Amino acid sequence: MEEYIYMEQKLYVKALKFALIVFVTIIFFFPIYWVFTMAFKPFPEWTAAGGKIYWFPNNPTLDNFRTIFTRQLQMNPLAGTAIRPVINSLIVSIIGTGIAMVVGIFAAYGISRHKAGGNLPFMLLQLRMFPPIAIIIPIMIMWAFLRMIDTWYGLAIIYGVVTLPFSVWLMKTFFDDIPKELDEAAIVDGCSNIGAFFKVVIPLAKGGIASTALFVFILNWSDFLIALILTDRRWTTIPVHISKLQSALVGALYGPKAALGMIAAIPPIVFGILIQKYLVRGLTFGAIKK
Amino acid sequence: MLKKQITLEERGGMDTARFGFFMILPALVLLLFIVIFPLLSSIYLSLSEWSPMTGGGTRWYEAYKFWGWLSNYWNILRDVEFLVAILRTFVIVVVVVPVEFFIGLGLAFLFRESFWGKKVFHSIILMPMMIVPAVAGFIFYMLFQGQGPVNAVLSGIFSKEVSILWLQHKVSAIIAIMIADIWQWSPFMFLILLSGLMSLPEDQINAAIILGATRWQRFRMVLFPLMKPVIVIALIFRGMEAVKIFDAIWLMTTGGPGTATESISVYMYKHGFKYLKWSWVAAGGIIILIIITLISMQALKPIKEQEEKEA
Repeated sequence: MEEYIYMEQKLYVKALKFALIVFVTIIFFFPIYWVFTMAFKPFPEWTAAGGKIYWFPNNPTLDNFRTIFTRQLQMNPLAGTAIRPVINSLIVSIIGTGIAMVVGIFAAYGISRHKAGGNLPFMLLQLRMFPPIAIIIPIMIMWAFLRMIDTWYGLAIIYGVVTLPFSVWLMKTFFDDIPKELDEAAIVDGCSNIGAFFKVVIPLAKGGIASTALFVFILNWSDFLIALILTDRRWTTIPVHISKLQSALVGALYGPKAALGMIAAIPPIVFGILIQKYLVRGLTFGAIKK
Repeated sequence: MLKKQITLEERGGMDTARFGFFMILPALVLLLFIVIFPLLSSIYLSLSEWSPMTGGGTRWYEAYKFWGWLSNYWNILRDVEFLVAILRTFVIVVVVVPVEFFIGLGLAFLFRESFWGKKVFHSIILMPMMIVPAVAGFIFYMLFQGQGPVNAVLSGIFSKEVSILWLQHKVSAIIAIMIADIWQWSPFMFLILLSGLMSLPEDQINAAIILGATRWQRFRMVLFPLMKPVIVIALIFRGMEAVKIFDAIWLMTTGGPGTATESISVYMYKHGFKYLKWSWVAAGGIIILIIITLISMQALKPIKEQEEKEA
């Protein structure tokens, strides 16, 4: 099969194409290379202020990681250490993901099997289009009234709502793939509706559930704006902490910011590679089936 | 077979609608909880001239004492900064999304064939979209410094000293922001278009080749029609997210120099949390919700049609 499509290609065409791929890959990789190496550069190598640009870390050091995890008052008197933000990000993203998943799975099953909710799926998509900033002030007021500002549950609930469209749409496509006859057979065999759902459908959708959860987690983990507004000191997340790593003496703390940025990048990259093929479905709301 | 159908109807027929309703109930409750109050209080606030500065702390419910009817709407619609922020956001979307699309499409075609190290290249190119957007903003803040790597590379290419202060000039700052967005989201287009290409039925393409179709004919008559749903959804999705652009801008320029790189979200954030003009921002929020609703009703049509076709 393959030969038909590509047989007319000459060798030099192939070589040119390969060179192009390498070139593009280098361009796409360079910014990541830069932040990665920056995390290991000592202060004098951060910028080219000394007249020389450092393409490699000449004296690699772990100082930047030490700086963000220990309290060094002269560096960032306001921000504190990054230990809490890392833990906060984990807690809030996981719980937000949990909320989106539990609510989303039920709703997706109702929509997939019972055509419940009418226009609900599209209302969810529209919700996703709204810039959160457009209604964040009333939400802030509401959260202040409920004393939920700067709390883990306050942030987690908003995350759950913001990512709900994805969990519903993704899970709906996974449920659509499971033949209806299976849950019907279970019901005929004496299962209740809810029993068929838990005993037959959920076990079959396990892979889909896991990949959806990882996808939703990445979205929550990446949020900046909502955490910036709804948290203050105790529950700031990693992205907010990164934006606050400034010092009066030297301005932006390149090295520490890069170090924390790297730590922030690890879970999404690992999970992203893990769920690559499901990612496509999530991002296209299930338009691509395989 | 017949017997099974009947028992199903009998057993499930009565409560299946109710069961479906109970399944979506949590989602409905959550949405009503988060959407209804903010929407109503947004409308309420937007009709007043209350702000934490004028109205004494957080007693927003006393906004009626500062009632202004449509004054906020009238004033914000004459605020050049607001209108330009909207326009600028749409310009960013209109530039960035097609560029990402074509880069993604080009890469997808390159990656259809097998070559040495394909998996590694594939993973590396996908990495940018996994980076936390705020971190991506900070990366490009570093890259576009006066003495940063971008200028150093340009100096090397033109073999003379280039020291553009990218983030300090109006136009170049916007370009830098667009480049950051293109870097981060072209991989997304690549991922989706590549999987779209790979899922095409190969025999149709081969048939076209055997029938003597040229490359362009193959693309226009076979690939493009088959790919259309995927392309449309990729464009809509990217457009949807691009409208909200905030993180990268905030980390790179915080909307500056002056107001030269303010997007809708940056404008709203500044006026809401720097100048504390809450009722003003509430009015802006309502206007934006109306605009986005009108756009999204059009934009989501293709997805809806496809859903209906499948059902």
